[in-house]
Amino acid sequence: MVTSRSGESSESWIGGAFLFSGRPDPTWPVDEQVAGKLLAIWEGLEPWPGELPARPSLGYRGCFLRNDIGQEWFAYRGSVVLQMAEGSQSRSDPGRSFEKQLLASAPEGTLPGNLIRDD
Amino acid sequence: MTLRITIDIFSGRPNPVIELSGNEAREALSRLQPARALEEGEPMFPEEPTLGYRGLIVEQVDERMENLPGVFRLVHGDLFGPGFAHKAQDEYFEDFVYGRTGLITRLDLGQDLPQMIRQERDRFKEVRAKYKVKPSAWPKRRVCECGPRYEPTWWNDLGQRQFNNNCYNYATNYRTDTFAQPGLAAGSMYTALTCASVLPAAVADDLIDSPGADNNCPENGHLVALVIWPDVDFHWFRKGRNGRWTHKPGSTAATNRDNSGVIIPDPRTADRGPYTDFCTFMVVRHGHIKIR
Repeated sequence: MVTSRSGESSESWIGGAFLFSGRPDPTWPVDEQVAGKLLAIWEGLEPWPGELPARPSLGYRGCFLRNDIGQEWFAYRGSVVLQMAEGSQSRSDPGRSFEKQLLASAPEGTLPGNLIRDD
Repeated sequence: MTLRITIDIFSGRPNPVIELSGNEAREALSRLQPARALEEGEPMFPEEPTLGYRGLIVEQVDERMENLPGVFRLVHGDLFGPGFAHKAQDEYFEDFVYGRTGLITRLDLGQDLPQMIRQERDRFKEVRAKYKVKPSAWPKRRVCECGPRYEPTWWNDLGQRQFNNNCYNYATNYRTDTFAQPGLAAGSMYTALTCASVLPAAVADDLIDSPGADNNCPENGHLVALVIWPDVDFHWFRKGRNGRWTHKPGSTAATNRDNSGVIIPDPRTADRGPYTDFCTFMVVRHGHIKIR
């Protein structure tokens, strides 16, 4: 299934994390190359089998990748959910590679360290 | 002696009023003397206002019999006033009012209205049946009378209010739609994400530092609590009218649960995730603060 327009040069990508309470949550531009890697990871993931992981109210609550055609990938604790106008798909990422790669694309100082605990 | 008897039935129109004076008034009051107190399980007067017939309102206009309130209500033979719920000596006084030759005939109500009032009186019996006298209890003490109500649906609109108001907005109960930052409105925004920096910034917004509050509500205003994720972020909780704490983590929904999904009796002991530093309690005096 085609889930992006990664071949088009005009596409812009934004990454972000659900993290703070008092400060606005951080967002950052994600370059085409990193976005391409993330999409490749996504394409290789198996469907998520059950209920999505619960998120805490305070602290790190997942990260997202957004493009300018209304698609958003949300990653948290081994799950990745693609939301788009037509609906959503959930996939399993046991190694959290999508999440780690996306968080690693944030400019230095944007995110506190050790966001992903081994849980 | 004058008695004013109002047939309490309408919402928009003025209610019909009958005035009695002299011996007529004295005789009516003698029939309305309190007999016995209503007992547990007997129909009461509805706690919430209802539409339609609500009984007779009796006012002792000039002279007053001391064993009856100055203004009281008679419904189906029962008398109700402030702290007062008794059977009347004459349980059929309303029939004396509404009967075909009763007091109601003194009013120019046409033919249909008196009949309709009688029907409404019967219908109101069913309404009253839902409201029983409850066993007496000690007066309920409000825990935090000035605390804000927990109204998550108002904040959690998945739109403008939810996404543009953060923990500081929610804790101060002050919507700005700007993701308010401590000290910004006063030109003294925090410079570090530490208690030592955020606390004076909030004081600049006219929150009152109350380190000795010890989770007790103030007489005026409501209690909030500042916590810090060291060098990363700040967070606020607020104490509600029921004595429980609630919070709104960033742009997410307001909630009454901590990170372990537990209600919050004290933010000092709540599971606060990475917000490990408890700074202080503060008081928000309603209308005194300014945030942006």
